[in-house]
Amino acid sequence: MMLDAGVVDGFLSASVRVATPLLLAALGEMLAERGGVINLGVEGAMLCGALAAALGAASGGAWTGLAASGVAGLALATIFALAAIGARADQIISGTATTLLAVGLTGAVYQAVFGSAGAGLSLPTLVPVPIPGLADVPVIGPSFFNQPVTTYLALVAVPLCWWFLFRTRTGLALRAVGESPEHARAAGVAARWLQFAATVTGGAFAGLAGGTLVLAQVGTFAERMTAGRGFIAIAIVVLGRWHPVGVLGAALLFGAATALQFVFQAMGLAVPYQLFLMLPYVLTLLLLAGLVGGVKAPAALGRAAE
Amino acid sequence: MRPARLLLGLLALGACTRAPAVPEGLRVGLITPGSVTDAAWNSGAYHGLEEIHESLGVPVSHVEARTPAAQEEALRAYAAQGYGLVFAHGYEFQDAAERVSAEYPRTIFIVTSGARTNHRVAPLIFRLEEASYLAGMVAGRLTRSNVIGFVGGVELPPVKAAYEGWVNGATAVNPNVQSRSTYLNNWDDAALGREAALALIRVKVDVFHHNADAAALGVFQAAKETPGVLVFGANADQSALAPAIVPGSAMIDLPRAFLAIAREVQKGHFMPRVIVFGLEGGVVRYEPNPAFTGTLPTDLGPRLQAARDSIIAGTLRPTARPRHRQAGAAPRAGAQG
Repeated sequence: MMLDAGVVDGFLSASVRVATPLLLAALGEMLAERGGVINLGVEGAMLCGALAAALGAASGGAWTGLAASGVAGLALATIFALAAIGARADQIISGTATTLLAVGLTGAVYQAVFGSAGAGLSLPTLVPVPIPGLADVPVIGPSFFNQPVTTYLALVAVPLCWWFLFRTRTGLALRAVGESPEHARAAGVAARWLQFAATVTGGAFAGLAGGTLVLAQVGTFAERMTAGRGFIAIAIVVLGRWHPVGVLGAALLFGAATALQFVFQAMGLAVPYQLFLMLPYVLTLLLLAGLVGGVKAPAALGRAAE
Repeated sequence: MRPARLLLGLLALGACTRAPAVPEGLRVGLITPGSVTDAAWNSGAYHGLEEIHESLGVPVSHVEARTPAAQEEALRAYAAQGYGLVFAHGYEFQDAAERVSAEYPRTIFIVTSGARTNHRVAPLIFRLEEASYLAGMVAGRLTRSNVIGFVGGVELPPVKAAYEGWVNGATAVNPNVQSRSTYLNNWDDAALGREAALALIRVKVDVFHHNADAAALGVFQAAKETPGVLVFGANADQSALAPAIVPGSAMIDLPRAFLAIAREVQKGHFMPRVIVFGLEGGVVRYEPNPAFTGTLPTDLGPRLQAARDSIIAGTLRPTARPRHRQAGAAPRAGAQG
């Protein structure tokens, strides 16, 4: 078969492309979950980010779109945070409601702006920018270092998140809140403010993830185009054991599994395509069962802080 | 599940002076399995609904219902409200429409791409494969790598038929053509559509066809990014999406078909039956992109015309399996390189 260098390069680049929005969204979710907040509104924040990116790019270019996507994700996460942290509503229900709100809202806004007939938009996109030197490294060079700026953003966010969580006082306080908000409060930490900040920052990450889909990949918006990526991002946080490096690995793994199933389908093997489509999910399940067994989630995850 | 987006506001659009008096207050509903902004399958149906409203002056309404439960609920809601005609826009509505129809005998249900008649349920069948066959013929001549590709949403029978027509059309003019296909299991994920197309481009595909609704927007994007790659549109005339890379579209003139049925219902002489539209009559047709005129081989025009005539005459079956292929593997695999 044609497993030449071109196919391998294509596979690696595709893995990184698929992983980028997942990595961004999962890092954001990880920040919230480290503070004890599980935000099922990630999917909605991504979708809002995607639409905002399209609107921003249509009026002010790709960079405006990227900024707009972050703001939109932050705004949606604020709605969730007001309900789940401000009003201590159930986090699972608030998050689900936020996502449903976003699905309806983005559909209505898109149809109001672009018409109900649908527009295949031709938006300005963020083209791949090769990083001098690194892009020429064999095998990983073209796949990691010849990508749109959003991929670099996601990759740089990994050490930044690590530094924040494990090397700053605020990061330590956030982790303490995630384990026991009561004890953190007793130690003088503004628990709910920290949770709020971590959640809305996570929302901005999710918004950027949605913006990546539009600006770095398809150059247009389609309703529900995030297609469940927000929920996969939540699984990636668990698979990555709530650690930035683990999340990076899990996102790349999921990206690779998705890219691999497209390589298999494209090769034209006479195997039912559904088997290939299962690949990323089966792999995730196996790893969750096999690897993550002994790891503990933040103890106060999902519980409203007093 | 999703609140009904009643489009009665459309009433404000036309005063409908020419429209005849509406018997028994006919109202027409449309249920789509996806967003009407997909520039393909669902948006065509929505145009059809608008056309019915404008030409016949009847109140119309649309809802989107994606899950089997929501689809049955939407059918039931329209029937319970006394809608005389409901378009259920997809093969997946067949069973639910039959169940609901048994309880509401006064409503006529049209299941687009449906399977059979039952009570007051009538399938509206579009032989898109006839137009896809013609698109495939053009593709077979335009490909330089001799590898053509297809990106599908879900492998529903009508999608599969269109794919087979496309491959058979291409092999009819170019016996060396190999074909590759990828399914997404999804109709919305344009980013995934782009990845599927890019993976196919890696195995030398240079001409695409699709049946993936909004997810296909990613296929167009991948082709725009890759010099020399073309995409044939599906379900609607998609030349306008990317004029430079769409040589033509295998399209269904949904508004025309919907209007014809609504007219019959309004006049009161509709009989539930299998309603078939193909190349004959022009509801299903291959719509070439005028920008490509002159770039195609000169002998192709007459060959397309001849194939079209044979399909209408019934002497050429677009989905017939070529004899030299095994039943199980054809036409997905082809000869492997």
